[in-house]
Amino acid sequence: MLRASLQKSAGQSACPRLVVSELTKSFKGHVAITDISLSVNEHEFVAVLGPSGAGKTTLFRCIAGLLKPDRGALHLDGADITRQIGRNRRRIAFVFQQFNLVSRLTALENVLAGRLGHISMWRGCLRRFERSDRLLALESLDRVGLLASAMQRADTLSGGQQQRVAIARALAQQPRLIVADEPVASLDPNSAGSVMALLQQIARSEGVAIICSLHQPHFAQSYADRIFGLSRGRVVLDVSTAAFDQTAYEQLYQTYNG
Amino acid sequence: MTPAQQKLAELEAAERGLTARRVRFWLSTLAVIAFFLLAGHLVQIDLGKLATGLPKIWHWVRQAWPPAIDEVPLFLRRTAETVAMAAIGTAIATALAIPMAIVASRNITPAPSLYYPARWFLNALRGIDSFIFALLFVAAVGLGPFAGVLGIALHTWGSCAKLFADHIENTHLGAFDAVRTTGAARLTAIAYALLPDILPVLLSTTLFWWEFNVRASTVLGVVGAGGIGQELKNSMDLLDFPRLFTIIAVILIVVTALDQLSGWLRRRLV
Repeated sequence: MLRASLQKSAGQSACPRLVVSELTKSFKGHVAITDISLSVNEHEFVAVLGPSGAGKTTLFRCIAGLLKPDRGALHLDGADITRQIGRNRRRIAFVFQQFNLVSRLTALENVLAGRLGHISMWRGCLRRFERSDRLLALESLDRVGLLASAMQRADTLSGGQQQRVAIARALAQQPRLIVADEPVASLDPNSAGSVMALLQQIARSEGVAIICSLHQPHFAQSYADRIFGLSRGRVVLDVSTAAFDQTAYEQLYQTYNG
Repeated sequence: MTPAQQKLAELEAAERGLTARRVRFWLSTLAVIAFFLLAGHLVQIDLGKLATGLPKIWHWVRQAWPPAIDEVPLFLRRTAETVAMAAIGTAIATALAIPMAIVASRNITPAPSLYYPARWFLNALRGIDSFIFALLFVAAVGLGPFAGVLGIALHTWGSCAKLFADHIENTHLGAFDAVRTTGAARLTAIAYALLPDILPVLLSTTLFWWEFNVRASTVLGVVGAGGIGQELKNSMDLLDFPRLFTIIAVILIVVTALDQLSGWLRRRLV
């Protein structure tokens, strides 16, 4: 049902899911990203690599509407979302490095947060969700393999479980795009692997595009379809995963030190 | 039935009817209501008395004009006394609170056996208001602001040290441990690694207590411990309303100015 409802809202369009054009953002004179242009297609799982300070987080926060870009445009399914905030943003879901769950709420209540952009304000404030929303949230939890932990408080879950709850929250949002900012940076290798595999499956099956920043190139190589390389605020690499080789790796990481 | 539907059915079944959770919720609601009914009875709320009393105050306010301008210099001197009492008392309290806070912080105390006695001692100081301490000291050292200073110092010592200690206990000790492993003595490590971290909080807490004590010590004069409170009480006893309201206005202006000053200082220091 989750899959069906996601696909229903997905529709068919020829244009790429997300188009970023010449995006620039600076902080107090320090330029974080310069003229970034890239696009992500439906069903595509894209990894963004690059050294610390390359501008990955700034780019992602601009895409998600947490930051206002200085120049440039963002298009989701062909519609300009550069200046949109509020409810329109529900079509983009964000997965954070530190999960950012409400620690005193249950896993289910955290996942239900994904419905807040779809329901009325009083329902959200009183946490009175409709049956269909609760079912969708439970299906999302089932999708990430945590249905049994639905009534557990978020802070009693392990890091990997918390990140999977956060992904379920993103799924319950029924987004067109999931933006994941270093989703596995705080996880041990096993949990990290399962979270990456989960994101890959979601991109394949749920008709959602995923853009994900990473610090481990081997995760990108194992799970992503395409790899963007960011360095000093610019896109320096745009290759399919198969084409990401030693030369590309050195170009991305070592020019930075040199 | 999918697993999710099954789980939803389970949750809905658990939410229906008289669940233990619901019983607990209504029982605690009842308890809270009963508590406030009892408390309301104990404090003898009487809106009738308020209705007859308010016009009296209004009458006094009207009598208070014109204000007792000619006595303002005296009021200012008395208020300065109050501010000075608060400043000296808070300073003494802070100086005593820092070593006491170190002893009373579970994570860095040099004498774990003194941890609980230190906490009890601080709680006792905190539990007794400066007003009550001042009452004792007026009897012991005589009338005047010195008794007020001692009262403020003792109560604030307990309150400050507890806040400091709570903050130290919540501080991440990574840097402290790192400095300890270099072979530094405990006191050196505290001064080197802990103090820079907690200093802004110490300063901000101290400024807060100074502000608080200025406000609190305006009444210390009522028990003869010096400052503007003494004049306030005299005016009230003589039903001299121009004088009374002029004093209240002076206190209001000085306290507001000090709040601004301390807010500015806090922004500069912290």
